[in-house]
Amino acid sequence: MNIRYEQIQGRSLGFYALVAGLGVLILAALGAVWHMEHNGHWVTGMSNRIVWGMPHVFALFLIVAASGALNVASISSVFNKKLYKPMSRLSGLVSLALLAGGLMILVLDLGRPDRLIVAMTEYNFKSIFAWNIILYNGFFVIVAIYLWMMFERRMNKFSSKAGLSAFTWRLILTTGTGSIFGFLVARQAYDAVIMAPMFIIMSFAFGLAFFILILMASYKWTDRPLGDVVVNRLGNLLGVFVAAVMYFVAVKHLGNLYLAENAGVENFILFGEYVYSDLFWYGQIILGGLIPMALIYHPALRSNRSTLGLASVLVLIGGVIQLYIIIVGGQAYPMEMFPGKEILEGYGGIAAYTPSLAEIMLGVGGIAVALIAVTFLVKFLPFLPESLADEVSDPHHKS
Amino acid sequence: MYRFLVVFIGFAFMSIANAYENPLTGNSEAAKSSKQYHENVSVIRKMHPEFLNHKRDKTLRQGVRTEENSLKGCVNCHANKDETTNEYHSVNDKDQFCSDCHQQVSVSVDCFSCHRTTPGASYKGVR
Amino acid sequence: MSKTLNRRDFIKTTTATTASVATIASGITLTTFAANANENPVTNEKRWGMLIDTNRLTEANIDGMVTACKKEHGWGSEAHSTGDQKSNWIRKLKVKDKATGKVTSLPLMCQHCEEPPCVDVCPTNASMKREDGIVLVDRHLCIGCRYCMMACPYDARSFVHEDLTDQKEDMPRGKGTVESCTLCVHKVDKGEAPACVASVNSDAVIFGDLYDANSKINQTLKKVQSAQIRADLNLNTGVRYSGI
Ligand code: SF4
Ligand code: SF4
Repeated sequence: MNIRYEQIQGRSLGFYALVAGLGVLILAALGAVWHMEHNGHWVTGMSNRIVWGMPHVFALFLIVAASGALNVASISSVFNKKLYKPMSRLSGLVSLALLAGGLMILVLDLGRPDRLIVAMTEYNFKSIFAWNIILYNGFFVIVAIYLWMMFERRMNKFSSKAGLSAFTWRLILTTGTGSIFGFLVARQAYDAVIMAPMFIIMSFAFGLAFFILILMASYKWTDRPLGDVVVNRLGNLLGVFVAAVMYFVAVKHLGNLYLAENAGVENFILFGEYVYSDLFWYGQIILGGLIPMALIYHPALRSNRSTLGLASVLVLIGGVIQLYIIIVGGQAYPMEMFPGKEILEGYGGIAAYTPSLAEIMLGVGGIAVALIAVTFLVKFLPFLPESLADEVSDPHHKS
Repeated sequence: MYRFLVVFIGFAFMSIANAYENPLTGNSEAAKSSKQYHENVSVIRKMHPEFLNHKRDKTLRQGVRTEENSLKGCVNCHANKDETTNEYHSVNDKDQFCSDCHQQVSVSVDCFSCHRTTPGASYKGVR
Repeated sequence: MSKTLNRRDFIKTTTATTASVATIASGITLTTFAANANENPVTNEKRWGMLIDTNRLTEANIDGMVTACKKEHGWGSEAHSTGDQKSNWIRKLKVKDKATGKVTSLPLMCQHCEEPPCVDVCPTNASMKREDGIVLVDRHLCIGCRYCMMACPYDARSFVHEDLTDQKEDMPRGKGTVESCTLCVHKVDKGEAPACVASVNSDAVIFGDLYDANSKINQTLKKVQSAQIRADLNLNTGVRYSGI
């Protein structure tokens, strides 16, 4: 069966309202950037102890999600699952858009964003950060080629090869992102081999949550049919990914708890009296893990799109919180400079961090950039199938 | 299209040249000294960014600390002293040594986000 | 002791004498460089280091070192930055041994690691190590990503959080870039000792060439017990401590 793709019309009031709303968020973010760069980082909550704050939380969240959003396309091209095929184009698009949003935040939070050209021309090949720059750029190119092959009929036959390389590339990319922390040997919080695989699983969950939301919203707002088969399949998949994230989180923390040298930082995150413990239990575990799973798997809520949407939103919120704990919490805990000794003065203690409004606005602006990119591109190029009704996506479906 | 570009660039260079047809004026060591420090003034005008970049790498990375092409040297010699207050003007202040040209061709100077813009306390004048 | 020094230092004991480098004691400049020393690139025949004897160093000495560094480089008086946002190149630490209860005060600055994590992680090569072991930030290339600050095990680096003016003539510094102790490289290149070392009027802090068998630091390191902070990370620091 041939799938027909079509642009959205994008002339309704709702469309313009969406664009305007996102535009405002982006302008606010640019204002925030001007404020921070003009004055310097003293206007933020960041310091020499918490060197990466809210912008990095959002940036890494989006970058991680970006690689996960490609999942749907990968499942169709690499694992040859027909059901996902019609959604491949959108999957690639969401993936690129999220990456663009994340990178924008990362660049605009640099001390010298005006020197971006230096970052692009001076490479230290020993630095995992430099490798990440290459990986991100490569990801853009590869996914763009992949999309083109899906769009261009003559190239269709190569699209699964391209899909395979995009899939491989994204696994490396997320590993690279996770390794940014893995190389920080002196910081107890990041001293875990499990970091890289955990980031991959996190990317699956966050990326899929973004994808589900964007898919459901665009079909609803354009009145296109979206059948239960697709929705339920994606919902189940999200549930599995969320469970997998929780499993990895459990393994990581339990492992650390029994490793004497990391017990300190573990107790600080899990059972300390700082905000990070509340964020962990209430935010990451309950809000971002248990509730979404309940919403997805509760039999009474099957095929219920509102609750699936809510579950996806919660997964995303939980994801931001999880990255906040990893990035900010990991820095707040002091480094063990003198094992066996206690530092009385001069260094130590839990570093304080209160994110400024500007930092949060920059982070939210990154998400807005990703969404506005998707909004415009589905208007100008045929990314979305005309219909994802059950008989289209699954010809053997019997209703 | 190309022709326009050439003409445009030509104008841009002419305006630099015009600005500097007259010898150095003002109240700086360089203007007062009779000694010629640069072998060829037009070369230093055109090439000073390359010279400075080359020198900065040698100084910072290799510890070569000769006076030739040192930015500190430029500032020491070319900063103008205010006649009345006897204080130095920053070389990147409006119409001062660096900005005079740079503002005409609208090329921003990045040096002085870190480097000081007047001779330091230990500077005792030209040798 | 010799094991913690680099393999190279004994190989070249025979040639070292030709360079007319005499002992450098704190506070006094004894080195006589050839007139053209500053014209030639530094080489890896030297490795600059420091030995800090915490038993002989008083708290007032340490405060004096911090003040001398501030005065030389101009950090710490940033107008808008607060608390941990202010630059801090060298600090006074007080540590208590949990077993014995002994309290030690020591100055902590960039340890000028031979295998510096800050250099490894820097994406643009802005963090760099000179041939003679001095670790610097090339602010012309620094994009202010702050990854090096995440990587440094000694919290030795600072990010400049605001616009600066009227910098010290030998120490360009500016908003949006990262900085740390330079081992007073501008002085070392002239044959002088770092400002903090010069501020201490005793042998409690010794500065010199670790490789040079005739240098005071080399000879003292052979005699006394010394340690590196976080020696377990195998960074082979240039700054060593005795008495901790
Ligand atoms: S102490 Fe820190 S800043 Fe200094 S060389 Fe080592 S890692 Fe780099
Ligand atoms: S902040 Fe500057 S010196 Fe540090 S890693 Fe980034 S570019 Fe390198």
